[in-house]
Parts: sequence; structure tokens; C-alpha cells
Amino acid sequence: MARLIRTEKEVEGRYEEVWLVVEEDALQQWPAGARAIVGQPATRIDGLERARGEAVFTADLRLNGMLHAAVLRSPHARARVTRVDLTPALALPGVHAAAGPGELEQLVADCNYQGAAVAAVCAGTLAQARDAVAAIDVEWEVLEPLLDPDEAVRRRELLDEPRVRARGDYEQGLAEADVVLTGEYRTAVVMHNSMETHQAVVQWLGDAVEVHISTQYIWGIRDEVAAGLRLPPDKVRVICNYMGGGFGSKNGPDDYTFIAAELAKRTGRPVKCALTRREENLAAGNRNATIQRLTVGAKSDGTLTALGGDFVNAVGWSGWTSSTEGPMQMLYACPNVTTTTYGAKLNQPPMKAFRAPGFVEGTFGLESLLDELASKLGVDPLELRRLNYAQNDANDDRPFSSKQLLECYRRAEPHWERRHEVRARSTDTVKRGVGMASQIWYGGGGPPSYAWVRVGSDGRATVITAMQDIGTGTKTAMAQIAAEELGIPLEHVTVSLGDSARGPYAAISAGSSTTPSMGPAVRAAAADAKQQILEIAEQRGTPDAPLAEVVALLQDGQILGKGARGPNPAGMQVLTFGVQVAEVAVDVETGEVWVDRIAAIHDVGRVINPLGASSQIEGGIIQGVGHTLSEERLHDPRTGEILTTSLDAYRLPTIADVPEIVSELIDRPDAHLTNLGSKGLGEPPIIPTAAAIANAIRDATGADVRRLPITRAEMLRALREAELRRREREKVGAPAGV
Amino acid sequence: MELRRASSTADVASNSLLLAGGTEVVPLLRAGLIEGDSLVDIRGIVPQGIAGDRIGAGATLAELECDPQIPDVLREACRLAASPQLRNMGSLAGNLLQSTRCWYWRLGKNCRLHRTSDGYGDECFAQEGEHREHAIFANDFCASAHPSDVAAALLALDARLHTDRRELALAELYRLPSEDDRRTTTLEPGELLLEVELAPADRSVYLKAMDRKRWAFPLVGVAAARTGATTRIALAGVAPTPWLLAEDGLDRATPLPGNAYKLEIAQALVRRARRALDA
Repeated sequence: MARLIRTEKEVEGRYEEVWLVVEEDALQQWPAGARAIVGQPATRIDGLERARGEAVFTADLRLNGMLHAAVLRSPHARARVTRVDLTPALALPGVHAAAGPGELEQLVADCNYQGAAVAAVCAGTLAQARDAVAAIDVEWEVLEPLLDPDEAVRRRELLDEPRVRARGDYEQGLAEADVVLTGEYRTAVVMHNSMETHQAVVQWLGDAVEVHISTQYIWGIRDEVAAGLRLPPDKVRVICNYMGGGFGSKNGPDDYTFIAAELAKRTGRPVKCALTRREENLAAGNRNATIQRLTVGAKSDGTLTALGGDFVNAVGWSGWTSSTEGPMQMLYACPNVTTTTYGAKLNQPPMKAFRAPGFVEGTFGLESLLDELASKLGVDPLELRRLNYAQNDANDDRPFSSKQLLECYRRAEPHWERRHEVRARSTDTVKRGVGMASQIWYGGGGPPSYAWVRVGSDGRATVITAMQDIGTGTKTAMAQIAAEELGIPLEHVTVSLGDSARGPYAAISAGSSTTPSMGPAVRAAAADAKQQILEIAEQRGTPDAPLAEVVALLQDGQILGKGARGPNPAGMQVLTFGVQVAEVAVDVETGEVWVDRIAAIHDVGRVINPLGASSQIEGGIIQGVGHTLSEERLHDPRTGEILTTSLDAYRLPTIADVPEIVSELIDRPDAHLTNLGSKGLGEPPIIPTAAAIANAIRDATGADVRRLPITRAEMLRALREAELRRREREKVGAPAGV
Repeated sequence: MELRRASSTADVASNSLLLAGGTEVVPLLRAGLIEGDSLVDIRGIVPQGIAGDRIGAGATLAELECDPQIPDVLREACRLAASPQLRNMGSLAGNLLQSTRCWYWRLGKNCRLHRTSDGYGDECFAQEGEHREHAIFANDFCASAHPSDVAAALLALDARLHTDRRELALAELYRLPSEDDRRTTTLEPGELLLEVELAPADRSVYLKAMDRKRWAFPLVGVAAARTGATTRIALAGVAPTPWLLAEDGLDRATPLPGNAYKLEIAQALVRRARRALDA
């Protein structure tokens, strides 16, 4: 039965209180451990069609009569369009329509970041559209940009009020400390650079609109497009059968969807608006840079007495102030914590969510600082973390629905033990070491989400739900859950998804929430179908007959099961945990860093597909290695112009940069969470990677790297600083009078 | 745009855009950094392959990296350049004549190397701007860093070049741009590089620092070759041209505020290269 509840809804670390109608989740969880299908490694059910190029992505769509749009974007960080004339563009061959500033909300004359959309053109071919954009006659008044996040804080150019969070008595905590350490940590702007750039194809069908879009949230697109176009939501159909990555950057419709919709309306034709790779590196979102000024106070045994931080998020012109302070607030049982987080509003492209926004940056700062503390105190870093383990949620003492972090630490021991042997392989110029860092994040998902399961007389089942597979393989996981519940082979289940007109509401694929939100709904739908089949079998007098035998009676009849995601456990904190141990080598003369091996041990409750799970861990770590060692969006310090708009200037890791990755999952169902006990794994693996690498560098060399990415310049700077410290110590340590 | 296939050097007009591997000219055209109405495919008229100490200008980097006749320094410079796909397409001459990777130039900023209808620009944006990857030698007019690993290797080997008009030392192919003459090579309009001639080396080595393990231009590349008592060391990624190092050469570096680390790397790699030659 449905019931109305007041509950906290969490997405990407942001909470809001909402009223929700939820259905009871009456199913018992399966016992822990691998089952016939769930918990067994499964290759992707759509792997072949992807590998053969048969999967049709938004980028592949060529609708009849489709026109291509191109967008004039501000080349300046801050500028005003003083004059714009679209006539020369409209006069070119193949051009069908053009729109300028103010003609739709997304086209502006006041440009507050490079990449802001000013005008758009659509034409028969993409080349014609680009030529037409180049022909637009436009004059700019270039204005002084604000680029320095600290300066923005000084001038109170902030996105919102500074976020202050405190517990206990911070000053008292510092007074009780035997040792107090401070450090300033910086992280750079990094780009999502999804393989499929942001794009949409929009066509009008009478008074309804059809939107094909590479998106993480079909239903969010439906609602935002409906609101933007002032249509009833049911007049908007959103389709995304396959997508080439999103990483948090494809939650909304952005400017390109509305540009395509407007130009499609004007021309009566379908219009595709696809960002180029260069636009993708400007206007598609990013992980914002941060400056973190952190303090830790501790007893000489390593017990934390105080943690404090000033966090400056260089948000850009818009976006939100992500929870960079989250790890400091949540990871340890420190009684006295105070943090202030500023969202600096700058003339730079807006940030967007990017795979654990805030926590990737904040974990680098916090876990580096804790490692510096362990080093200073001579306490084993793993023991320091155990010593400060949080039994309950540190802020409001709520119990965790489940937490296997101590088990993660225990399983990390053999990897951690390798440090003696690794260090021993150091040479005069190549120093080796091992470092670790912990992970905390959300990933519990939540209601509402719905699924249907249809079983025909052939004994095959179709899962129907209007969710999207962002590329993580959740489609396969849903098929496994349905096959397991129905007791039929995996090959007998297909999954129909990706179309708001062909299935019920499904959750956003963000915040590591697809599997924990959708999986329980799919299982409930399959259980509903199974129950109906059981009832038929009982009426027939063969209650133990196999499913295939019972449904064979149906002919054209079908069994239709429906399921809904139940509520999250009341009064509990649902989180994911983990630890990573990195092994590195550092060339102390050239600053080169090799990451040789990363062991990742994560706790995300029950694992549905161990093969998909290890892929997620590998992908997260590879992206994390990129953020740690080579990726950085650079801009000219005077004009703010972005310099790294192509993939030869913006340095994603290559396969040669990828370490050996050893992944382990605790795989214990969260007894309080839904009928599955599963949490999400999309984001956790990227969170501790940077800090684990930085801490391994400290173990290898004694140098404190405090800036991401760890370029040669940063590595050599940290080595020089460590050498100076060593000499200072030797001087101080020298006998008096010598 | 028109694509023509040349059947003799006479077919190549002096203002032609040349296509061999296409890995450089095509991206430059697409970015609007060079312009033209026709592209001349010269693969039929430029020598290919390797014959003794002569290498065809059209040989690919992939051919050079796996041929045991080729000196170590050149093989390694090829192996550490670009990606396998690019090395399978990119030609030796195309690599020597590639344009700078300076991001200001590649973004079409009106800098001292960038020509528009109004002539060349009069500013080096990198000097006051973001120059972590830029030159630490001869950077007072233009701070671009020459990106060719192969050119540094050939400079260390004291290779000679044969064009359709003359023979010259590799060092003579390059020139530092100046106020009066912004060109970075000495090739005349329409002049075609045809062959590279290698001098024998007793021992040679190439060491490269880049900011990821593969597929990156050199932050610093050090090519060293010893023939008898003579050692030649040449650097990639440190000056607007491939840079031949004098005995006290590194002391004369003039790093910019944001790229002094390149000098540290160069010192270490030069030391290691010398050691490798002596080993």
C-alpha cells in the first residue's frame, strides 16, 4: 500500500526535505552471498551491440530532414555584445534559421564566462552551420574578468552565503591537542570529457516535442524541458537508449537542448545541437578548483581533538557549492570540527557535478593532512585511521544503516604490509613507497522509482522502466535481478529502458544511485510477476511446476508485474565506505611519478555483478589517476581564456599511465536498506585515489605534495622543500658549540 | 577544398599545402591556422623507406622505430613520440616541419608567430601568461618550445638533409624567429625535403620527460650521440628550435617564472645521457 512520508532526499551530497508517496517494501532480502545469477559475474547484455557499432547513440542519430545547429559562444571570460547582426549568416547557403541574444533565455548578450551562448544557427550540414556562425557579425566590449577565488571571497562575490558547519568546541579541541598541524591544499579544474559530447536532437510532433538526448536523467530532462517550453510534461518525450558517459555533467538540458528545440520549432524540422570537443572543454561543466586551508589537532597517540577548514570552491559563474568539507565533517569521530565553505563566483565556465563532487577534492586535503599528522607523530597511518573510527554519524549520532570500514581496513592489511618490501626496492634516484586513504560517500539511492516486468508464454521476461544506463552496465544488473527473482536464465531477460513514453518513472543516474534506487523496484516487479505465476500454478494444482511450464499455458496472455522502490531506513545514515592503498615510484631528479599498483577495497553492500563492479572500480581509479597526475584545465592568468580546449592540450591518462588495479568488495548486504541491501559504486572508487597516491609519495620521498595535479613542477617543489626541512633538522640537531 | 596528387616535384606550386601523413596539416587546416584551396598529396614523389644511411622523407616514424639499422637515439625518439596510430601515419619530414604546440599559437592568438591579413602580431602571450611548457632558451622574442623528438635526435646525430634544391645540415633547417623574419625554418617556398642522411654514431641515447607516460610532447627531450671523441647533445622542448647544447650550455638557460623546473629536468637528463654514452 502506498503511504505518504516526509523524508530527506540526497543527491550528490545535497539534502532536501520532501514529501514522498512510497510503497512498502515487503520482500525479505536474499541471504548474504552469491546466488545463481545475482553475485555472479555477467558480461554486459548489450555488449555485443555496442562492440559491433549497432547501438544507436544520440550522436549517431540522423533523422529524416534533420538540420544541424552550431552555436556562437563568447570567446571572452567577460564581455558584452554591443552589436550583433545575423544577416550575413542567414544569407549563406543551406542556412534555415538563426537566433540571437534574448530570442531565447539561453542566448545572452552579457557574457560572464567563456563559452556562454550568444547566438545559434541551423543549416543542412554541420559545416554550413559552422560557416554561418563564423559569418555572424558581432562586436564585443571586453570587460575585466574576476578569476582569483580568494579575491572573490574578499570581495564577497559569492554564489551563496558561506556555509558554516560546526560541532563541539573547536578552540577547546585545539587547546587539548599535543600537536597542531596546518596545510594548504589545492585542486585544479578538471573536465568530464565524456566520449559522447553533450548533444540533443529535438523534433516537434504537433504540439508535442520529442527529445533525443545523451542524459543521465530522462525524467529530469522531461520536467525541465516542459517547464522551459511551457508545455505539460506529458507533451515531452525523452529518449536515451545508449549514452557515451556523463560523470555528473549530463543531469540537465543545458543550452543546447533549448537551442535545438527553438530552431526545430522555427524550421519545422528535427534539429541536432551537438557540442564540439572544444565546446565540451568550455561549456559542458567541470569539477571546480578548490583551495583548502586545513588544521588538525591531535593527542600524541593520534586521537583527533580538532579539525578545521576554510574551503574555497572556485565555482565559476554558476552551479553550486559542493561539499568539499564533507569528508572532514563525516569521516572521523573527532568531537570538535568547524568548517566554512565559500562558493567563489568567477568569470569562468560553471561547474557541474563530477563523480563525487566535493568529496574527491576534500578527501585529497583531509587524508593528506592526516597522513602528515601520522608521519609527524610516528603513528602508523592505518592505525591512526582505526583509532579515530566513527561508530555513528559524527554530526547527529545517527546510526549507519551498515558500515564495513573496519573490515575494509582489515582486508587492506596485506596490501599495506607490502610497504616494507616496496620501500626496500628504492634506489638513489627512484624512491618507492606506499600510501593509503579512506573513502566516505553517499550512494544509498532512494524512492521513487518504478519498474514493470512482463512474462509471456515463451517463459521470457522483459523488464520495462524508463531509466537510463549511463554506461556503467546497470541494464545488465537489472536483468540479473529479474532473472534471479523469477528463477529463469539471464539470457531469457531483456530490459527495455531509455524512453519516457515506454515505461514508468525511474531515478537519476547520479550520486551512485541507479542500482540502489532501481534494483529494489525491479526485484519487486519480478516478485509480483512470480507471485501471480505461483497463484496460477496453485489453481492448476501444480504449485511446484517450473515457471516455463506454467506460463506455457498463457498463449497470448501475459503476466504483468509491477514494483516500486520502498523507503530508506528511517533515522539512519546510508553511506558507502572504502580504502585504497597505492604504490608509487618517484624519480627524485626529474619529478616523474609512476603509480605502480592500487588496491581498492570498498563496502557498497551486496554486489549484483562482480564483473561490472570491478569495471567501475578500475574506471574510477583511472579517472582518479588522471586528476592526480596529469589533468588540469589551464587558463591565461590575465584574460581568463581557456588554453586546454583540445585533447592534446588537456591530458587525460593513457593506458600506459594505468597502474595494476586490485579490487575487492566486502559484499555484505546492508540489512536495513531495501529488499536488496545494495548501495551504489559509481563514485566511491575515484574518491581516495589522489590522497592515496600523494601519501605514497610522502612515504617514498618525505615530500608533501599539496597541489593537484602533481606535475613535475609540483613534485620537484615538494622535494626541494623536504630537502630544506631535512637540512634544517640536521642543523638544529647538531651539537651545540660545533 | 581540392586534393591533388603530385606526379613530380614540378607539380608542387610554391604556395602549396603538402599532405604526406596528414597528422599535422589536417588538424591545422581544421583549426583554421593555415589556409589554402588545395592540398597536394606528395606521397608519390617523396622518397620512402630506409636505404643504408639514407632515409626517405616520407618514411613513417613507425618504420624508423623498429628498424635495427637506425641509431638508438632516433629509434627511441620515434618510439616515444605521439601514439602508435600517429606514428603509423606521420612522416619523418612532417615531424621535422611540425608547428609549435604553444597553446596561444594553436588557439590562433595574434602572437609573433601568427600571421593574419594585417601581418604578424607583436606580442608573445606565453611570456607573461601560462608558459609551463614553454622555452627555457632563446625565449626573449618567442617562448614557443620546439616539439620534435626526432629533430633533436637528428641534431645530435649531425644529420644532413637533401631537398630538391640543396643539401644542408639539420641545424641549418631551423632558425630562431625575429622581429624582421618570423619564419622558424629556412626552407624556401616550394622547397621539398627529400632525404635525411645519417652520419655513423658509436653510441647514442634519447631520454624524454613528459607529463604522462605516452602520447605527449616533450617537456624536455635529451638526445645524445658519441662518435669517436665527439659527443653531441641536443634538446627538444626547450627552445623555439631544436637546441644543440654547448659544453656549458645549461648554465645559459633563461627560464621564465613558471618553467624553471624544466631546467632541473634537463640537468638530470643530460647527466644521465652522458653517463649512458660512457657506460
